[in-house]
Amino acid sequence: MPASVADCWWRPFRNVGTAAVVYVDLAPDAAREAVALTWLDQEEQSRRQRFRFDGARRRFALCRAALRAILCGQLGCPNQQLAFGASHHGKPYALVNGQPAPIGFNVSHGSVHGLIAFAAEGRLGVDVEERSPARDLDGLIGSVMGPEERAELASARGNHRLHLFYHLWTVKEALMKALGTGLTPDVSGFEIPMAMRRGKKTGIFRFPHLPTVRWWLEDLGNEHFAAAIAHELSPDSH
Amino acid sequence: MASTGDRLKTLIADNLEVDGQAIAVPENLDISLLEAGVSSVDLVAFAKLVARDFNVKFTLEHCTTLNSVKEVADFIDSQPG
Repeated sequence: MPASVADCWWRPFRNVGTAAVVYVDLAPDAAREAVALTWLDQEEQSRRQRFRFDGARRRFALCRAALRAILCGQLGCPNQQLAFGASHHGKPYALVNGQPAPIGFNVSHGSVHGLIAFAAEGRLGVDVEERSPARDLDGLIGSVMGPEERAELASARGNHRLHLFYHLWTVKEALMKALGTGLTPDVSGFEIPMAMRRGKKTGIFRFPHLPTVRWWLEDLGNEHFAAAIAHELSPDSH
Repeated sequence: MASTGDRLKTLIADNLEVDGQAIAVPENLDISLLEAGVSSVDLVAFAKLVARDFNVKFTLEHCTTLNSVKEVADFIDSQPG
C-alpha cells in the first residue's frame, strides 16, 4: 500500500447514481509501479510479464493494484484473501476467500488514463479512450455506428467529429462491457439515445434485444479523454 | 504468394502500434493483440482491414476471441476461398 494518500496514483473521480468511479493515473512512474507490483499475486505477475510493451505492463500493474487496494478497503479484507474470477465471456469479478464479493466493478484504461467503476448492485461497464486521430475514421464509423449515428457524424466537422466519434464509441463500449456478453450484439446494431448524440451528458438506454432492462448512461469525458459509464438500473428505480 | 501469416504481419506492422511503437510479431505468430495493448478502436480498424484484405467475414469479436495472430491466420485459412 502507498505510504500515504498523497502517494496514491488513484483518486475519486465521479459518483454516478449508486456507482462510484475512480480515476487511476497511469503516467510512467517507476516508484509507483514498484509498489503496485507488490500488490499483485503470482498469476497477475505472470500475466503482466506476457504483455509485450512497457506501457501495457505499466497500465495493467497500476490499475490492478489500485483495484486491489480499493476493494480491500471497501470489503475490509487483506489483499491475500482477494482473488479474481472471470465469467464465460471474460468479465472479471472479485472473490474473497473464494466466495463472490458483494460488489461489482469494471476497469478501463487508455494511454495514461484509467477508470474503475464500482457498484454494489447492477451490472456496470466503463470505458476510457484517448482521442487519437484514427487512420481511417470513415471506415471505423462505417463499422461500429448505426445509421442515425453515421448521419450525425457525417454532419460534424474536424475536431468535433473526432470528439463525437469517441463519445459515441465509449458509451457503446461501456454498454457492451456492462452487458458482459463479449461483443454480441454487434455494436452497430444499436444506437446511443439521440439526446446524448447531441450533447446531453446522461441518458437511459434499452438494448433492442433486451427491452425490459434499463441502463443509465453518463458521459465521463473531459478535455483529456473520452469516457463513459453504463450502469444497469434496478427494475423499481425511476 | 506470401503466406497468411506473413500478410498479417505486414498488415499489423503497417497499421497498428502501441504507445507509438510498432508491434513486432514473432515468427511463430504467438502474440495476442489484446495483450500487446492494442486499443479497442484500433482493433475495430484492424478487423475491417483483415475482412477487406482477405475477403472473409472478420469482426471485432473475432479479434477478441482468437487468442493470437496464429489463431487469426488459422481462422482465415479455414474459410472457403
